[in-house]
Amino acid sequence: MLDGNTFLVCDDTGDIDASRKVPTGLFSYDTRFLSNWRLSINGERLHALSVDDVRYFETRFFLVPGEPTHYVDAKVSVIRNRTIGGSFTEDLAVLNHADHEVDLTVRLDMASDFADIFEIKNPQSKKATVSATVEEKKLRLRYRRDRFHRETVISTSADAQIDSGGMTFRIRVPGQSEWQTQLRVQTLVLGAHERDFRDSLELRHVRNPDELDEQLREWMAAAPRLSCDSLDIVSTYRRSLADLAALRYSSITMAAELVAAGLPWFMTVFGRDSIFTCLQALPFTPQLTPTTLGTLAYGQGSRIDDFRDEEPGKILHELRYGESAGFAEQSHSPYYGAADSTPLFVILLDEYERWTGDDTLVRAYEFEARAALSWIDTYGDLLDTGYIWYQTRNPDTGLANQCWKDSWDSISYRDGRLPPFPRATCEQQGYAYDAKMRGARLARLYWNDPAFAERLEREAAELKDRFNREFWIADGEYYALALDADGGQVDALSSNIGHLLWSGIVDESRAGRIAELLLGDRLFSGWGVRTLATDCARYNPVGYHVGTVWPFDNSIIAWGLWRYGYRREAATICEAMFDAARHFQGRLPEAFAGYPRVRTRSPVQYPTACSPQAWSAGTPLLLLRVMLGLEPHDEHLIIDPEVPAGIGRVELLDIPGRWGKIDALGRSRTPDDDSEQATSRNGAGALTEGRRGA
Amino acid sequence: MSAIAEFFVGLGPRGRSLLPPRVHGTLRIDLVDQDCTSHWYVDMTAADRVLVTRDSRPADAVLTTTHRLLERLVCGDQSAIAALLRNEATFAGDTRLILAFRRFFPSPAGTRDPREVARQHALHGQAWRERLQTRIS
Repeated sequence: MLDGNTFLVCDDTGDIDASRKVPTGLFSYDTRFLSNWRLSINGERLHALSVDDVRYFETRFFLVPGEPTHYVDAKVSVIRNRTIGGSFTEDLAVLNHADHEVDLTVRLDMASDFADIFEIKNPQSKKATVSATVEEKKLRLRYRRDRFHRETVISTSADAQIDSGGMTFRIRVPGQSEWQTQLRVQTLVLGAHERDFRDSLELRHVRNPDELDEQLREWMAAAPRLSCDSLDIVSTYRRSLADLAALRYSSITMAAELVAAGLPWFMTVFGRDSIFTCLQALPFTPQLTPTTLGTLAYGQGSRIDDFRDEEPGKILHELRYGESAGFAEQSHSPYYGAADSTPLFVILLDEYERWTGDDTLVRAYEFEARAALSWIDTYGDLLDTGYIWYQTRNPDTGLANQCWKDSWDSISYRDGRLPPFPRATCEQQGYAYDAKMRGARLARLYWNDPAFAERLEREAAELKDRFNREFWIADGEYYALALDADGGQVDALSSNIGHLLWSGIVDESRAGRIAELLLGDRLFSGWGVRTLATDCARYNPVGYHVGTVWPFDNSIIAWGLWRYGYRREAATICEAMFDAARHFQGRLPEAFAGYPRVRTRSPVQYPTACSPQAWSAGTPLLLLRVMLGLEPHDEHLIIDPEVPAGIGRVELLDIPGRWGKIDALGRSRTPDDDSEQATSRNGAGALTEGRRGA
Repeated sequence: MSAIAEFFVGLGPRGRSLLPPRVHGTLRIDLVDQDCTSHWYVDMTAADRVLVTRDSRPADAVLTTTHRLLERLVCGDQSAIAALLRNEATFAGDTRLILAFRRFFPSPAGTRDPREVARQHALHGQAWRERLQTRIS
């Protein structure tokens, strides 16, 4: 249950019983505000009959006292209805089903450890203590370290005996009747004059459920409507839109809505994740992009700071709001340890303009985009070789691998050895190429600088040429995962080669071979493309970046295959992903296991995968774009569908963009289509509708 | 001249060149030390330079902190955002101006160019390329 970066993780009775290692609790701004929230009646814990996830910000629990073996006899039951919207509210009702009155003791234990999200991942002791104050119908829990100040304020509408560890309600409920109280939990981040900092900034942070409901309706209504023979795809689409809505939160910089990366560990701004999510969602929810670009532009690096891996022009990797960032125990204030978010920033800026025609924005961020392009050739090129390299300058808390596969063992040779630093991964060179090509377009059309455009195009051509000579592994016939600092190729076969297609850096003559590898047994599991090929020493079907299948990765690969004209291969990935989504009730997780599909009836979930996660929620959207073959071209939208066999008809209505709104229709090939193909290029069911409502 | 005064005097035209042209507004810095408050008023509205005075006029954004912290910010020793997160500095008004103002702060003293450091420890440039060519041919 979540609303932006405030979220609640609890057990199936609605209780929170957090040991430090278990990430249950009420969280906001990277701090746990409730670590204990335990209900009992007459000293007995409760048992869940059912849980109803009403909306993403509302859940209802139906409970009875005691263990499952004796609830048959329950004369009392409990309904906890809770909502999150700025604050957390629980409506607690105790129902007496007997025909006579009963006296009950309802107890709610309450506590907060104010743990920083990083302390839950890596437990350590708090630097200050928590105090509790009992007030009129309120319990106030307070954490103070120097001037760092967080409070949880819990209030009750009904009378209670309040102590420092919770509230006790001694109640008398008449027969066939009920007792109720409303508990409200405020999470305060206190700044100047002991006011919540959001009040000083006029950030609207309290959204009540009715407002949230209305916003969700508007959000869904603004997105294109999908009509499809496959009801599973329709429900996956709607699930994705609702998850993206839930992950939105207010950017402090822009006072507008941003998407957080994922629950529970990543409820914050990530440069890379935010950019990819916006790219995936552009045809559907373009309104997410300006806030993301703005937040990243204002947070752009401006100096050299080794602790934060910051350099001038670099786009941030991660911003955290918690105690460990403030006191520099972690480097996320913000942290800049990503070598790809900077070119990706330029790519998103250009893609956004292509869809929306919003040239004001590309002019407004010219300064930052130029600084980003300059970073690629200066600080990005650590070893003066014409490539982007990375190596952290913060060995304690910095990231070793500053690419999307950011776990420690993700970049390896085929035999399993790990390369020395710095490292230059292949997909980052692809992004650099694409950023230069797109930067050239922006310079020519909007920045009035044709000389800069020519320079960027020349540099891009040189990069492509160099890359195709130096990353290509002749005997394996694929691109190396990376180059190392000793002048060696990191020769593992990985999904990264799919991103190269998306970037356009692959020589036409080699694209067929790359497509063949991506869909071959070593990489393709049947459910999707694995992060690492099965013949690599570190391959592990349940290894985070060394064998699992990442939906986001697959969506970019499908887009890449489509770009080079491998439509059927792209459609195969789309079909596999939508099949997988069905097994996850329409919500693709961050990653799932890389076992061959023939061995598993359904995709196997990766143990600690985040869900919902923004770029997984964005995946079905990008796959729909790929299946329908949507590509903006000048003032028009090109629609050139290739719908996988068995999906049937797919109609996406009211796609927003510079053309106004347009509909796209596609359907799967049938045997008849194949025989017609000789006479009609669009025989595969490419029904293209003209402009409308522009 | 104190480090703080030197920092503000040095802004001028150079300060403007560090800012995106779109950034336009005024920022007041209130330094509260015991019972005495002093002000720096940073006018970022002109196209060619940043103007700094000691005015206490209303501004689009206000950053409140201490003399001691500002001294550490202007020498690059501290991060402004980390200071805000731990509430050692607070702000009100347009957040974008405070983030823009952050662009004026220098690197921590003694910081070396990361390229220089990396190239000291690893092959680079032409030597790296020659090694690569030998290894892949």
